[in-house]
Amino acid sequence: MDGFSYNNIFETKGIEYIIIIAFLLMIIPFWIAINRQVSLKSQISNAIGMLSESILRIPKGLLFNKNHTWVHLGKSGIAEVGIDDFLLHVTGELRFRELKKPGSFIRKGEMLAAADHNGKILKIYSPISGRVEKINLLLTETPAVVNDDPYEKGWICKIKPEGWTEETRSYFLADEALAWTKAELLRFKDFLAGSAMKYSPEASMVLLQDGGELCDRPLSGLPDEVWHDFQKSFLDMKG
Amino acid sequence: MNNNLTIARDNTGKPSWQFLISELKPKGKFLTPFNIISIPVMILGLILIVIRFWKGLGAITNLTQEVPWGLWIGFDVVTGVAFAGGAYVLTFMVYILNMQKYHSIVRITVLNGFLAYVFYAGALLLDLGRPWNVINPIIGNSFGTSSVLFLVAWHFLLYMIAQLIEFSPAIAEWLGAKRARKILSGMTIAAVIFGITLSTLHQSGLGALYLMCKDKIHPLWYSEFIPVLFFVSSIFAGLSMVIFEGSISHRVFFDQISEKNHKSHNGIITGLSKICAVAMFAYFFLQLLVFVHGRHWELLNTPMGYWYILEMAGFVLLPMALYFYSYRRQNVTLIKVAAVLTMLGVILNRLNVTVIGFKWAASVRYVPTWMEFAVTLAVIFAEIWIFRWVINRMPVLRESPSWVNEEN
Repeated sequence: MDGFSYNNIFETKGIEYIIIIAFLLMIIPFWIAINRQVSLKSQISNAIGMLSESILRIPKGLLFNKNHTWVHLGKSGIAEVGIDDFLLHVTGELRFRELKKPGSFIRKGEMLAAADHNGKILKIYSPISGRVEKINLLLTETPAVVNDDPYEKGWICKIKPEGWTEETRSYFLADEALAWTKAELLRFKDFLAGSAMKYSPEASMVLLQDGGELCDRPLSGLPDEVWHDFQKSFLDMKG
Repeated sequence: MNNNLTIARDNTGKPSWQFLISELKPKGKFLTPFNIISIPVMILGLILIVIRFWKGLGAITNLTQEVPWGLWIGFDVVTGVAFAGGAYVLTFMVYILNMQKYHSIVRITVLNGFLAYVFYAGALLLDLGRPWNVINPIIGNSFGTSSVLFLVAWHFLLYMIAQLIEFSPAIAEWLGAKRARKILSGMTIAAVIFGITLSTLHQSGLGALYLMCKDKIHPLWYSEFIPVLFFVSSIFAGLSMVIFEGSISHRVFFDQISEKNHKSHNGIITGLSKICAVAMFAYFFLQLLVFVHGRHWELLNTPMGYWYILEMAGFVLLPMALYFYSYRRQNVTLIKVAAVLTMLGVILNRLNVTVIGFKWAASVRYVPTWMEFAVTLAVIFAEIWIFRWVINRMPVLRESPSWVNEEN
């Protein structure tokens, strides 16, 4: 080869080797950077950004109470009881256990059921007193029902109420319910920023795993302590 | 399954021909904005196509003996096939790597890929001087085995068949043909493996077509590695198309998508954005390597050089960074922006090789006529019409009929 010299970096293809080595060296930090867990802060701010009242369903004809249950009194005098959309959006899919038996008597504020999300338990309290007439069998057969349709097919039980007027006086209806849900969302954002940050060291936290649900259901990946706090601040009976 | 849908329904017992005739009728609203725009364009396109076959290519195109391949090849065929690459990437991920997360979008992607091949490769016929000769490499009227076009012709044909088989269970479900569905879905995995093999070969094969034009293509875009570059870029071109098209059909056909698939949609898009970011990262280094290998430094400081830098920085590096950033931030809107930017970049790259950088120094440059653009647009609209027709009838986005799960 004429004029070939081992000192010429172009002729020895040295520069091409250097680029390939640079590529191999750079793909390592690139790969690490793209796979690092999405930081807790941006996950939480994402969750806060996504959870808005516009995605929550709040039917106008139901009475909502402060521990995130609803009641609806039908013509027959039997009231349906269920949990609200806020709770479902915050927690993710729930399964119900320890339901009250039909025929038994329940007082307002007594535990109606335990809602289980992957082993994390929330206690649901009854919003009214009365005799339990019926349990929704769909809940145990196809738990997805309550998640898709918490107000129609997803009722939890039917109760024959006693002292309805007195007990539901402070409950929210229609626009009041909407305003209250908005306030609850704000409160929940504060709660997330406070409690979630307190208990979850950043490394162990995965709110949004790769390919998991985005932003919706922020409690889903958080540790038991946060759920415990959530129970105290949002579900325990306050009247 | 959602039973409230009035538009989409599977055959439940009517004889097939009665069902087919009833399904041929238009459904839904007719005077939508899309229809109002697309119908005149398609009619115009049809008229132009008639003129083209009647009076010849010269009547409506600016193609000459010097520049025999224009917009119809460069955009419809070469770019369209790159965008159809999503089908082989996704079937590979779902059926070979078993990434079940992406299963809900396989059917729509395969349908999209299949129609893209039928229409855009079909548009090839418009560009052939003697289109009836297109079957020569198939029937053996001088095979022409030494030509890259021989490979491309066979691959297109076989790949269309493979994609049709991959999609055929949906057709069988629509017609209520239970036995046929069983047989066809048994063939899926074989068709997928066959299809992936073909895809990897002809995505690069299209690039190899341009190896013949060494002196005609601007040296910044010509290299002996065009096939490799075409293949690698088809990965993120196809996936960007999946993101883009998925976001649109998610809105247009929202009533057909189950709640579960609605919720997983964002997860799918962010997952794809990561793959795009990594593929583009590798693609950028390949381009850099090819550029250094070609040693055309001095050409960078010319108008074509600026154009080249714009393509690399603005439509490869920038969308890659956007994909990276939006994946990290889980920002779906930004991912869609990156997808659009990537698609523009792929169009730009393919046109740079096939039209813009082709005979770049000729005294009379080829510029497509408005009629060539109109025909291209008409082809795209026609594809979308068929796409919509199929989705409104077959279980592509909606769940399969209940008997499918009972059998398994």
